[in-house]
Amino acid sequence: MSHPRVEAVAGEARAAIDRAASSAELEGIRVKYLGRSGDLTQILKSLGALSPEERPQVGAAANEAKRELEALLDARLEATRAAERRRQRERERPDLTLPGRRPARGVVHPLSRVRDEIVTIFTGLGFSVAEGPEIETDAYNFEALNIPRDHPARDMQDTFYLSPETLLRTHTSPVQIRAMRLQKPPVRIICPGVVYRRDADITHSPMFHQVEGLAVDRDVTMADLKGTLDLFAREMFGPRSKIRFRPSFFPFTEPSAEVDVVCFLCAGAGCRVCTQSGWLEILGSGMVHPQVLKNVGYDPEEVTGWAFGMGVERIAMLKYGVDDIRLFFENDLRFLSQFA
Amino acid sequence: MKIPYGWVREFVDVKLSAQDAADRLVNAGVEVASVTPLLPEGLRGVIVGEVEAIERELGESRGHRLFLCRVRGRGAQRFSVVCGAPNTRAGVRAAFAPPGATLPGLGAVTAKKMHGLESQGILCSERELGLGEEHEAGLLLFDGDAAVGADVVKQLGLDDQVLDIEITPNRPDCLSVLGVARELAALTGAPLRPPPISLREGRQRAADLARVRVEAPDLCPRYTVRIIDGVRVAPSPAWMQSRLRAVGLRPISNVVDVTNYVLWELGHPLHAFDATRVADATIVVRRARPGERFITLDGQARTLDASMCVIADPERAIGLAGVMGGQNSEVTDATTRVLLESAYFDPGTTRRTSRALDLKTDAAYRFERGADIEGLLDASARTAQLMAELAGGVVARGVIDVYPRKRRPVRVRLRMARVKRVLGVAPPPAQARRILAGLGLGVRARGADLDVTVPSFRRDLAIEDDLVEEVIRVWGYDRIPTTFGRGTVALARDSDSGRQEQIVREALVGAGLTECVTYAFSDPARAGALGTSGALKLLNPLSQDASELRAHPLEGLLGVIATNLRRQQPGVRVFEICRTYKRALGGDTETTEPRWVALALAGARAEAAWHTPPAAADVYDAKGLAELVAGEFGLAPETRTGGKLSGFEPDSHATLLVAGQPLGEFGEVAATTREAFGIDVPVFAAALTLDEGVPPVRRTPRYRPLARFPAVQRDMAFALGERPVTADVIADAIRGEAGSLLRGLAVFDVFPLPDGRRSIAFRLTFQAEDRTLTDDEVNAIHARVAQRVCAALGLTLRGA
Repeated sequence: MSHPRVEAVAGEARAAIDRAASSAELEGIRVKYLGRSGDLTQILKSLGALSPEERPQVGAAANEAKRELEALLDARLEATRAAERRRQRERERPDLTLPGRRPARGVVHPLSRVRDEIVTIFTGLGFSVAEGPEIETDAYNFEALNIPRDHPARDMQDTFYLSPETLLRTHTSPVQIRAMRLQKPPVRIICPGVVYRRDADITHSPMFHQVEGLAVDRDVTMADLKGTLDLFAREMFGPRSKIRFRPSFFPFTEPSAEVDVVCFLCAGAGCRVCTQSGWLEILGSGMVHPQVLKNVGYDPEEVTGWAFGMGVERIAMLKYGVDDIRLFFENDLRFLSQFA
Repeated sequence: MKIPYGWVREFVDVKLSAQDAADRLVNAGVEVASVTPLLPEGLRGVIVGEVEAIERELGESRGHRLFLCRVRGRGAQRFSVVCGAPNTRAGVRAAFAPPGATLPGLGAVTAKKMHGLESQGILCSERELGLGEEHEAGLLLFDGDAAVGADVVKQLGLDDQVLDIEITPNRPDCLSVLGVARELAALTGAPLRPPPISLREGRQRAADLARVRVEAPDLCPRYTVRIIDGVRVAPSPAWMQSRLRAVGLRPISNVVDVTNYVLWELGHPLHAFDATRVADATIVVRRARPGERFITLDGQARTLDASMCVIADPERAIGLAGVMGGQNSEVTDATTRVLLESAYFDPGTTRRTSRALDLKTDAAYRFERGADIEGLLDASARTAQLMAELAGGVVARGVIDVYPRKRRPVRVRLRMARVKRVLGVAPPPAQARRILAGLGLGVRARGADLDVTVPSFRRDLAIEDDLVEEVIRVWGYDRIPTTFGRGTVALARDSDSGRQEQIVREALVGAGLTECVTYAFSDPARAGALGTSGALKLLNPLSQDASELRAHPLEGLLGVIATNLRRQQPGVRVFEICRTYKRALGGDTETTEPRWVALALAGARAEAAWHTPPAAADVYDAKGLAELVAGEFGLAPETRTGGKLSGFEPDSHATLLVAGQPLGEFGEVAATTREAFGIDVPVFAAALTLDEGVPPVRRTPRYRPLARFPAVQRDMAFALGERPVTADVIADAIRGEAGSLLRGLAVFDVFPLPDGRRSIAFRLTFQAEDRTLTDDEVNAIHARVAQRVCAALGLTLRGA
């Protein structure tokens, strides 16, 4: 059904399609042959000028050629476009090893982090947080806690004074006194806060953080204290942690105990950090001294209590392996960013 | 306190090694910081040598006369030794290191040429043996009965371990060899054997040789005197010198050394006066006179006050009670009659005096912790006995004892039920009884309970619970079980401020800021640069640059920025939750401690990265972060330029207000301020109060229905005129004109025009709840708002 005139154009178009290298070129070919004034369109438009015999032959041939070329063009275009897209993506391929666009995030100070860990453990055990002023009176910081003036126990806590009667608290224990004066037993509180002692070296800072705990109720025993601290140690230092009590002296507890935890670096075998002893001293504790209970208006025959106090820096140093307490207060971002 | 273990074992028959004994003591609450060998490292082969003869004088070298000595060693051994010690004499027995011996620091001793002669070994001083600092006094000498050729390690008892004991303030009774022995006896059940006291007294009565008048019995409840007559002051024997060195004391003379020896042995401080230098042989114990001058044994002139107690004669002070003796009455080589003081001084007075004069002595350390008011007689007798033995002399008969108010015996009932109640566990009563008796307490069973009599050396035992501790301390803290008790159910949670701080921390850390914790101490120089005044001052700061308390919430952070910029951080974005400290205006406390969240930014806004062009932080970062914190608490503060905090640039400083009340301030830190901190780039900062008006809880959200009809946006840009008009004024004007259909208003562009005026562009979002707005409707509002705002504020609408 072909016709020489049509075939000439169609042949030329086929050859052009065959040669075309890009989708743009193919679009050009479509315009040149099939466009409004394209060669094949011209043939169809000029059918009227043909003889009635020739007209159907040419017409049929031209229409067939048009369908054929369109199909050919579409197929080629699709293939070419796909190839072009592939090339394009190839060129613009993202380097996924470039660093991601990460939103900036800061760091919680390691002391806040440890403080919160401790507080979370004890609030879970039914202890509420109590706080108080950092500038205290001698009466609250010492006298109410059974540390009279001119007592050598004051050497244990070298003190910054603002006046003969006011000082920077040397422990958060005055918060316990305040709390007990405000409420009747039972009392279960923990007291985190900043405290001050006149002392400065790589393990002592003139300002540091403490968390103290206090439980006063009928029939509270030293065994309960041990049970609570044992649980605390396992939460804080891992489930295989163990503690031991050693007798000690604090003017506001009787009996008093230093508490050691099995060195978590050597698991008790002895290493540099625990000075070969296998144990790390983490806190002081004891049964609240009957005189302290009397000082706040409790009857030591009615209730007993226990208390403990630990240094947040000490715990953080042990837990994170920090060997100089001053790093916590220097706030070097290279240090702080390690706690992200 | 250093305690040689061999000395302890003289008084208690324990088989434990020094380390095991130390462990037992630690487990019973007597802290042993270390156990170290007494033998200096590298001391070997040194013997007792006798200087048989001085064969020749070799002239002087560096101020010392040099001798060539013939030294007799073990058996028939003879050595030719060059020696320059001042106490080199024929016949003396001295520490001698023959060739082949080793000395600490010097190593192996060999025969060496000295001054043209061969010296076969070294005659040694204390320092050369590594036993102490003494060198100038010369050779370490032995008594005549020290066997020539004997090993000095044996001779000096150096084959021993030293326990370094750290006593808690309540246990002065452990500040002695006997005290430690008593603890070990109680812990092991081994019998205690105190040193025997066998005093032979002469015919003369002490009371005829001296008198004592105590005028201040409150400061000195007991004062006793013994007299030892006819002493010959000389060096004390080598064994005593060796023990004193082992505990860190310097041997002085037999009379003085004996007092120190007994101090260590029994724990009671004693003082020996030269009796002939005490006027009228009369001791007067009195308060010091205000301003009284006194020269202590160390040669220092001291000014005293009436709170202090002195030992005096009728003319002058001769000793500072319980602290240190006086130069004017000290024992010298010429002393023949000793007045021996054994007394009890008030702990508080001793402590105040020692601290006021900054004079810390072994005696004061013990008196301020409480000496044994009954045991002081034994200490006196033991000292007199040893003095007579070592320095010759006769101990006068009797003791002068001024003790007007006898100590009342302390009796405490220990209920076994109380033991159980406090500890949660209790030993059988018989066991408790054995424990207390082992500690030297008097114990009688009384039904299920114990009646306990506390001896005078245990001042720390006053109440029942003290005895509970004694029982469990010896029985073993590891016998306390772990229980949980009956918990009282109550809501437990963090404090209001703790929760509030948590909210702040999460918000700012999420926004890329790092939390800091800085000292509350303030440097007056820096505080001055911040413009604060009236800071609280410490009476006893550690240093001048930490002598006040923080008065400005940004002081700490400015220090942090300076530190980090100096350490090459390109950008610092930090915050701190802190307090400032100030005198209270009225109120029942003298001071208040306002709480703050402070934040500060300097340098790069973000870390340099391939995807973000570098930009420096600016004041809008500070403001935005402050608004972020406020927003966490549901607060939407307004801005008013200016503020109360000092240290900001006046033209870049504003206050954030909530309901007219200041919530905080932000701005650019004044250049002069930051320069005082050593910061040379701009710093932008904010400080918000955490006290008033800030709730302890996060905002509770309230749901509002979502809009059902589309919103329409229109932009509106103004060129500002000559009159300064701020963004919030324009925004207020727009809101006022636009009416209720305006749902959103944002500044989306601000830039300078070529003519120098500022352009500010707003995006207005209109929305109705009941219909879709038409363009005409919105255009009409838009045109009216633009026209009225321009007219009211003198602005020009741009692009219109």
